[in-house]
Amino acid sequence: MKKLKFFGTGGQGVVTAAKIFSTAVSLYEDMHAITVPAYGHERRGAPVITDVVMDSEPILMNSFVYVPDIVVVMDETIIDKHVDVSAGKHDGTVLVLNSEEPFMLERYKKIFNANEIFYVDATHIALEVIGKGIPNGSMLGALAATGVVEIDSIEKAIRESFGEKAGDMNAAAARKAYENVKKL
Amino acid sequence: MTYKMLDGNGAAVEAMKLARVKVVSAYPITPQSSIAEKLSELVAKGELDAEYIRVESEHTAMSAAAAAQLTGVRAATATSSVGLALMSEVVGLAAGCRVPIVMPVVNRALVAPWSLWCDHSDAMSVRDSGWLQFYCQNVQDVLDLMIMAYKIAEHEKVLLPAMVCLDGFFLSHSMQKVEVYDQKLVDQFIGEYIPKNTYLNTEDPMFICDLTPPEDFTELKYQQKVAMDNAVDVIAEVQDEFYRIFGRKSSIIEEYMTEDADAVLVALGSMSGTAKHVANEMRKRGLRVGVLKIVVYRPFPFKQIREALKAKKVVGVFDRSAGLGAQGGPVWTEVCAALRGLDIDIRGYVGGLGGRDVPETTIEKIFNELLDIYKGKRILHTNWIDVKDNAMEIREVLKVV
Repeated sequence: MKKLKFFGTGGQGVVTAAKIFSTAVSLYEDMHAITVPAYGHERRGAPVITDVVMDSEPILMNSFVYVPDIVVVMDETIIDKHVDVSAGKHDGTVLVLNSEEPFMLERYKKIFNANEIFYVDATHIALEVIGKGIPNGSMLGALAATGVVEIDSIEKAIRESFGEKAGDMNAAAARKAYENVKKL
Repeated sequence: MTYKMLDGNGAAVEAMKLARVKVVSAYPITPQSSIAEKLSELVAKGELDAEYIRVESEHTAMSAAAAAQLTGVRAATATSSVGLALMSEVVGLAAGCRVPIVMPVVNRALVAPWSLWCDHSDAMSVRDSGWLQFYCQNVQDVLDLMIMAYKIAEHEKVLLPAMVCLDGFFLSHSMQKVEVYDQKLVDQFIGEYIPKNTYLNTEDPMFICDLTPPEDFTELKYQQKVAMDNAVDVIAEVQDEFYRIFGRKSSIIEEYMTEDADAVLVALGSMSGTAKHVANEMRKRGLRVGVLKIVVYRPFPFKQIREALKAKKVVGVFDRSAGLGAQGGPVWTEVCAALRGLDIDIRGYVGGLGGRDVPETTIEKIFNELLDIYKGKRILHTNWIDVKDNAMEIREVLKVV
């Protein structure tokens, strides 16, 4: 069983990203995944958190994730919005961060001092490839770089969720982020 | 097998589509809204051959659905929380007029305090209204129980409406891998809708819900009681047939590792999955705990529960509604009645209110308390299992000790 937490802000497609990830592992990798979205008073710019639990067996539990194995941060500024992205982390927790800003990388390095960190400027890639700064597709590519899911599965799930044209562009963004992700 | 990724609301819509509902009258309310939206989308696109009646309230939603179904078609509606409360007058009407509507209820707390989030107080408030009630553990359950509910509700020995209850957000908005079924198989399973009791036909007029004097009222109520009693066997038959056709097992209650358990927790809804998961984990540490999941809450399966738990010493019951003013939550109260006369220590737990998560830690705390009670190491239990220590200081208006 693996537990993931997606952090971001309203408008970034955080819930969509978690759903596409669940689709990728459930329909294209013979695994099981559930999304457990935490809905609040949604508005653009407000923190959004969504959890995913995945396993080789059908999943029994249905509650939020408190001890994440993977933390996906889609908006680097979330740590300045009273959100503790490191809550419940353990030594094996992996961080996937949407940032290449040295100052922010230093800050995240302090928070996740003992953990593996994958990072890429997914928003920049999204702007380049799809023409919009919505990083959900590209962040899924970065997430695939951790080995938790195959990039092929992510691409298929993106195409299924977004339809042909937007699907191709977002899948390309995912592939680019997958190939450009760096490790701290 | 065909799998789809669906959230609970999506699964409910899938079932209503497979049941070929012909009239939809639904009013959107969080967290049910995507059911009303998706149905209207399907009708607009022509993928669902149905009349979509836009209504101004849940009261009208149920009035229109009940009347439509009386004309001889399956009608659909869905609601949640205060929507169900506003609908409640007509909820009783649908039951008393023996209109076997199937309605998803997306469980959300009743006000006040105002909330958008899950607990069972909405469905529990209408538990004695003459509707069957099913509670879903996961999204697959939503699809399966909805499909079964049509066949059960419409059975000539039942003819009662059915609520299929799914936890707000935890199921309604949780995307899960769901096995979906072939339309032909579902057609074969539930068949065409044929009104079997009351109906509206201009060629053959009938009074429905006219003023019923005391000479007849008791008898009509008794007919509903007999229908509820009949439903127990019908549900079991339909679940067997569902298994034969679709290959998925279902039961009125589910006993999960209860046989040798020192402590059993009774639960319903999505938290029963978490309870099973925690039982698995505790078993790995040699702790003998089990879960009794209530799938059918109305009719209340008191015989099955008594049979399953009669040899137990300690039983916990988790209510996701407060049961204000009662000795305990509604599920606990009825489990106590089912087990009356037996030497069993039955502890009631209230938690998971207004969207509060029921995590593994909460369930484990309950199991540990029950095991301690079993071993004689503990007398009292934590009735409100997840209430904060500073409860009386939160938004305090008047100092109450």
